[in-house]
Amino acid sequence: MRKSFLSFSLLGLVMLFLYVPIILIFAYGFVPNGVSMSFFGPGGHFQGFSGRWYGLVFSGHHSVRALLQSFWLSLRIATLATLVSCVIGTTSALALHRWRSRLQTVHYGLVYTPLIMPDILIGISLLMLFVACGVDCGFWTILIAHVTFCVSYVTMTLLARLQDFDDRIIEAAYDLGAGPWYTFFKVELPILLPGIVAGGLLAFTLSIDDVVITSFVNGAGTNTFPTYVSSMTKHSRNLPAVFVLSTLMLLFTGVLAGVSKLLTGKSTRQA
Amino acid sequence: MTKKFREVVVTAPSFLWLMLFFAIPSIIVVAFTFHGHTPNGGVGEWSLSTWRELVDPDYPVIVWKTIRISFEITFWCILLALPCAYAIARMKTKWRAIVAGAIMLPFWTNFVVRVFAWKTMLHPDGWLQSCYFAFIQFRAWLFDGLPPFLRDFFIWVHLASPTPPDPASSTILDSETAVILVSVYTLLPFAIMPLYSAAEKFDFSLMEAARDLGAKSFYAFRKVFLPGIRQGLISAILMVFIPAIGSYVIPQMLGGTNCVLIGNKIFMRAIQNRNIPHASALATLMAVSVFLPLLCALWWRRHQAARERRQVEIRAARLMLGGTK
Amino acid sequence: MGEFLEFQGVTKRFGSVRAVNNVSFSVKRGEFFSLLGPSGCGKTTLLRLIAGFEQPDAGRILLDGQDITQLPPNHRNVNTVFQNYALFPHMTVFENIAFGLRGARRPKDEIEHEVHAMLKLVQMEDKAEHLPSQISGGQKQRVASARALVNKPSDLLLDEPLAALDLKLRQRMLLELDLIHDQVGITFLYVTHDQGEAMSLSDRIAVMHSGVCEQIATPAEVYEAPKTSFVASFIGDTNFFDGIVASAPEDDYCIVEIPDFADIEGFNGVLCYNDKKKTVGDHVNLSIRPEKFGISIDPPKRQFAHMNALRAKVEDIIYTGNHTNYWVSVGERRIAVYQQHAGYLLDEKPIRWGDEVWLYWNADSGYMLDDDAAPDDPLLPPKTSSAPASPSRADDAEGTAP
Repeated sequence: MRKSFLSFSLLGLVMLFLYVPIILIFAYGFVPNGVSMSFFGPGGHFQGFSGRWYGLVFSGHHSVRALLQSFWLSLRIATLATLVSCVIGTTSALALHRWRSRLQTVHYGLVYTPLIMPDILIGISLLMLFVACGVDCGFWTILIAHVTFCVSYVTMTLLARLQDFDDRIIEAAYDLGAGPWYTFFKVELPILLPGIVAGGLLAFTLSIDDVVITSFVNGAGTNTFPTYVSSMTKHSRNLPAVFVLSTLMLLFTGVLAGVSKLLTGKSTRQA
Repeated sequence: MTKKFREVVVTAPSFLWLMLFFAIPSIIVVAFTFHGHTPNGGVGEWSLSTWRELVDPDYPVIVWKTIRISFEITFWCILLALPCAYAIARMKTKWRAIVAGAIMLPFWTNFVVRVFAWKTMLHPDGWLQSCYFAFIQFRAWLFDGLPPFLRDFFIWVHLASPTPPDPASSTILDSETAVILVSVYTLLPFAIMPLYSAAEKFDFSLMEAARDLGAKSFYAFRKVFLPGIRQGLISAILMVFIPAIGSYVIPQMLGGTNCVLIGNKIFMRAIQNRNIPHASALATLMAVSVFLPLLCALWWRRHQAARERRQVEIRAARLMLGGTK
Repeated sequence: MGEFLEFQGVTKRFGSVRAVNNVSFSVKRGEFFSLLGPSGCGKTTLLRLIAGFEQPDAGRILLDGQDITQLPPNHRNVNTVFQNYALFPHMTVFENIAFGLRGARRPKDEIEHEVHAMLKLVQMEDKAEHLPSQISGGQKQRVASARALVNKPSDLLLDEPLAALDLKLRQRMLLELDLIHDQVGITFLYVTHDQGEAMSLSDRIAVMHSGVCEQIATPAEVYEAPKTSFVASFIGDTNFFDGIVASAPEDDYCIVEIPDFADIEGFNGVLCYNDKKKTVGDHVNLSIRPEKFGISIDPPKRQFAHMNALRAKVEDIIYTGNHTNYWVSVGERRIAVYQQHAGYLLDEKPIRWGDEVWLYWNADSGYMLDDDAAPDDPLLPPKTSSAPASPSRADDAEGTAP
């Protein structure tokens, strides 16, 4: 079992590799000196932790106002993009699951290609569209771009779930006298809801994380959290505030994921 | 008739959306390459001037660099991910989910913030920098020991530089190494996950059978395990290679002027220089050189699989319904 | 008792395959009618045509005199019990049963009342608030039946409702289904591949094969007087004999010369009951059930007026508890013989492997089939005694897509 030992110790190292920056993000939220980003003073002595950055973030201090605004914009866009892509993604997955036709082959190609396309190509092609139409870039262009790449992920997540779906349940509903709408809202939607929630969570994470596509379509002056952070320099004085926000967000997504785990766990028990 | 209508209605939202915001823009990109550009950042008349401008001796170098770095990133990711996936798949079922979750967990932190954390860690005064310089010196020492023709070859493919390392210019920040290191960091989970899900389905009693037949454990790993998870391996490679080719944020934040890839060029031309046709041409070049072959391969495989499945289905239907004879 | 459900020349094609081929039959009101056949014979397709999930390519379906061929499933007054029950996983037992009534916007207290009456009928009152995942297979089956019956359908369609249950439970649910049928008194259309289920429940059975109805008759008729070799071999086991009528000494009886027995000395033909009015020279395909044979070491006493007796050699013996299966050879021909044990087996004079025995049967127990060709594999005599094979029966459940 020498091989297993080797692979297990490598797994440990990889986990360390993955987690060191995360721990740093957490720690830098408490750094006393925001310029040198160091816990140690010029003489090399430990200067302790500081709650200053948390205070700045929670009080909405003017020095971090632009950062907070970008964070707020990110949240708004991610929420809207999630909602829209969930609706479009659900119809898309239902169509792909239910029908087999030439139309669906093209449809599948349209949904599948963005997944294997690098973000940068999606970003530039959307920019070209907006340039060609003479649209000014801003909130709406970012939202459109985010929905575009989220739809494919939502569709694929749901499509995977639909494969476990027993189509006879739909037939049973029709058989019992229910019409298509009644069946959709009383049977299909409730059963698919955990899948839609899972796809929505994925869409939310992708949207709030995206920097590549956004940086093509955001226009001047409109910054989401990631584009704002990427435009900061190493020695920006507010860097610890970024780490504070990231820590808060990690906690928030952790709670969200816990909730979704509960939801999906419950649904698999039911099935 | 109504059935077809219902299909069209349900398909319409996603179909139209992706048509409008994905398919048509891609066509516009290609169309723009046949235009000149105007000084104020607009798109000019029909012309082939953009394609002529593209004949720049810099571009082949950048394209080659992008491809080489993407291959390096893919290589390291797979090398690290394979034993990890193997180790997770061999754990007890309860632990598997926990460890797999733990690998994905860091990725709920913002991508840019993670890269920033690395940037802070790779600061020229930090300990990672000392490690890096020691590594560079070791590499230079190895390189000196090579036969001359190999040395020339490595210089030729830009895997080594002809000049000896200089402490002042050899910072890990703003170097290719930093780009590769952080890219591996961000892409590693996407390599582990497909490999792990393939390894999870793998029947490990086959390994025992191989060992039973006298195979050494590494031989069994290579001859039984790797072919068994081939499908996962292919998707892991794609999951890493595709983002690596298109990456531009990491090179921009960590690569400085030493690591300008094709993605950075596209961004520069599109946003900073506002030369829209030129950026389009670069994007088209990227799509044509890497993604069209890839797409064709993927579609062909899907088509192939679908055809085989159809034939099996037809045969099964004939058997079931074909009657006595 | 008029014709209630009527099929008129119904054909359904999937691609180039005819899953249902020009089928016509009718079901009487209140009848328990079974569609029996192997996997892929078209019985489930036929059921789906009645439920409205498929539209026929040709022909008409009439329900109570009304043409329902083009009616969508939610406008037909028939309900289905699905093979895997297809209970709604996110609804409780109560909500599952109430689904049809709620969809029809019936008043709340009426729904409450009806559902409780149904829960009582299927003895599931204490499980009303359980989810489908929390109840057993037999209970799911009951809920599925209740969910369909609560809508008071004029016809209940059951698609292999017992296939997912184990043997003991299946036998109990069989009795329950029979009881429910007696209580509600509506027409049941029951699809199954299990001849035992069909035989024990049905008033009439339609035996289907390759999309065609081979025979429609009562269970006893189907077993004792099969029309075709397929029916004879699918329901129970049988021995087929091909021969030619050599003479007809009496009105109702004829002597059939069977090529397999031609070499046996002193045996000039099998005496058969001739209900098909065959004349000399006609070709005959004869089916004789294994249990209709007698077997003994001593020469048989003359028990019947028209009896056949032959010398045979025992080749294989399989003891199964309630009876013993013998495979004997007469010349080159192997014949299956099933014997029940009248007394205590160990008291009987034992028949052993290799013994020369007498094989005898009543001429009335052979039955002439309508078709000439014996099926590809009639009851296959095993070459070794390892497996008591009944190969012509398809045991697995019918696939979803024909």
